Amino acid sequence: MSRLLTRRSALIGSLALAGAASLAACGSGSGGSGSGGSGSGDGNTLKVWCWDPAFNIYAMKEAEKVYKKDHPDFTLEIIETVWDDVQQKLTTLAQSQDFDQLPDIFLMQNMAGQKNIVNYPDIFGDFTDSGIDFSQFPESVTNYFNYDGVQYGLPFDSGTAIGAWRTDFLEQAGYTIADLTDVPWSRFIEIGKDVKSKIGKPMLSGQAGASDLIMMMIQSAGSSLFNDDGTVHISDNDVLHKAVGIYKQLVDEGILIEVNSWDEYIGSFTGEQVVGTIQGVWISGSIQTATEQSGKWAVTNVPSVDGVPGATNYTANGGSSWVISSNANAELAADFLKSTFAGSTEFYDTILPSSGAVANWIPAGKSDVYNEPVEFYGGQAVYADVVAFGAKVPSVNTGVYYYEGRDAVSAAITQVVGGADLATALKDASDTTEFAMG
Amino acid sequence: MATAAVSPAAGLKTKGRPSVPKTRPTPSERRRNLTGWVFIIPAAGLITIMSFWPMLQALLLSMQTGRGTRLHYAQPLWLNYERLLNDDIFIMTLKTTFVYLIIQVPLMLGTALVLSVLLNNPNLKFKGLFRTAIFLPCAVSLVSYSLVFRTLFANDGFVNDMLMGLHLIDSPVNWLGNTITARLVIILGLLWRWTGYNMVFYLAGLQNIDPATIEAARIDGANAWQTFWHVTVPQLKPMIVLTAIMSTNGTLQLFDESWNLTRGGPAYTSMTMSHYLYELSFLKSPNFGYASALSYVILLLVAVLALIQMKVGDKRDA
Repeated sequence: MSRLLTRRSALIGSLALAGAASLAACGSGSGGSGSGGSGSGDGNTLKVWCWDPAFNIYAMKEAEKVYKKDHPDFTLEIIETVWDDVQQKLTTLAQSQDFDQLPDIFLMQNMAGQKNIVNYPDIFGDFTDSGIDFSQFPESVTNYFNYDGVQYGLPFDSGTAIGAWRTDFLEQAGYTIADLTDVPWSRFIEIGKDVKSKIGKPMLSGQAGASDLIMMMIQSAGSSLFNDDGTVHISDNDVLHKAVGIYKQLVDEGILIEVNSWDEYIGSFTGEQVVGTIQGVWISGSIQTATEQSGKWAVTNVPSVDGVPGATNYTANGGSSWVISSNANAELAADFLKSTFAGSTEFYDTILPSSGAVANWIPAGKSDVYNEPVEFYGGQAVYADVVAFGAKVPSVNTGVYYYEGRDAVSAAITQVVGGADLATALKDASDTTEFAMG
Repeated sequence: MATAAVSPAAGLKTKGRPSVPKTRPTPSERRRNLTGWVFIIPAAGLITIMSFWPMLQALLLSMQTGRGTRLHYAQPLWLNYERLLNDDIFIMTLKTTFVYLIIQVPLMLGTALVLSVLLNNPNLKFKGLFRTAIFLPCAVSLVSYSLVFRTLFANDGFVNDMLMGLHLIDSPVNWLGNTITARLVIILGLLWRWTGYNMVFYLAGLQNIDPATIEAARIDGANAWQTFWHVTVPQLKPMIVLTAIMSTNGTLQLFDESWNLTRGGPAYTSMTMSHYLYELSFLKSPNFGYASALSYVILLLVAVLALIQMKVGDKRDA
């Protein structure tokens, strides 16, 4: 019996060992294949994650061409990875400490910057020795990736906000684009009511339950959902109270219509249901899909929040930055970015007309291409204007818990629009955010 | 029946030789035993490594707290579970999930049962066509059907257009923007997607019911309803218990509909527990310890509800 037992257990043991060994082989196998592309290789290849073929992937391909002129052996391996996947991969790789799988460079949403730097410090390479002059970028944008004085991201596309309006609709109601320039929200609402009564169209649309417009409003007045020390600044935030109040007024007066999805939102202005929109300049790509409306649009700055000292007509929404991973061929990656995204007007001149990628790099705004009139916007030199706007955007602290705060405020907006008390709703949002930070 | 016939004989065999405590297996028996083990071990090993080991790790993780990758054991260990009880959003997702469960599961199983009985009628023509049509929704991908529902129920979508065309409503209903209607759309989506799936189980069950029992009921003067309720349903009970457990399990883990149809909105009110779990892990500042605690709560709920259903629904062994 005992002999049988030992034999049996020996069999089980060996089988289990074999199983474990084969699994281990699988694990190391996949790990090995992944590390091949990440910088090591021949030393002249960089692996990149980014997501939009018409936009940032295109920009990377053009950057490769520019860099190749001086470095003929250089190649770029671009892997199309949508932002949600980038975030999930970063989370998973950070948890498993499997940094071999990281690319050399990846694109990251500006708003997710602080969160990832704080949660996964091991993933990021810093730009300290890169020689890139970050003073040539607006501080409001470099700030998203600046933590404890160290820079972790190179700003790419601009999230500078614009008000894009149909001049023909405004004209029918007796207004011009100048009437919407440098105005406070109170004046905007007056014009909105008038336009609505004359031509029957709301001024703008927005996704129900999304707080994009609110976030743009408070940033334009130099405020954020978080204090500089990271504590929650929601229920005691006067600017936020004002912004939510303005939003409710916009909805109540029918100046802003709420829709349910992004597609509906795009459709509302390309389909002429509303007069225009307020959004990050990247929305221009979607506006210009309505080619038959060429010449009927104009761009200006956004309204400012009434009664706030230092409130501006400039803000931002979205945008993204290039990050060098901790596993990268750092020297090559930094030099590549320095020679293209942070140092080549020629490069920005190429990508601007075909992709509408407005630079954050201030010197790019001086080039001729940026100052050329854009036919779609009635001959306005839109891109030069937007670069100028970008330099005036107040710098705010997005904080590590930006998404938690924004979600809670979104819920509060839904409640306020539905008739709930503003102060109570924002108190709840504040509590929710504080709980999430727990 | 077969086992019942064999077991007395087997019992006699052991009783016949009481002096020997246990028979030594013959070499061929031993070999067969080992062969059995060899067949079982790879699967058992994989299940242990792929399922049970991660479950154990998740349990350990649920007792940890901290930011991102820097986790440490919580003081006290059940801190995350305590936190769940104070989490208003979690309580709301729990309620929402139970609203789906209580309304959708009985409605769906009832409909599936009726449909399967109708389609089991031997005199029905185009039976295959109907069966395929009803089963087809569950062959559609979860994401695409959710997106179709989203489009149907958009402000300028088909449903609003149709209702306005019929003059049933004056202005478009914001289906996905109101708590009650958003939940309703999710329930409708679930009904459309899963009723056919459950119907197939019942059809399979119905095939195993002896037609003689139904014929006998008819001869005894039972009407269609009585036959259905007192003859068909009791015989389908094992199948009903199975589908009830599977549906409960599925609803408690509901994610796709909540994520794709409403994104949990408006203001978290249509969000399910699994959707919240995903948000905690990947969308917000990740808190994996807390998310693991939530996943264990879901596991516990599934287990408890399945147990209750087995005890209440299945009287075979009682």
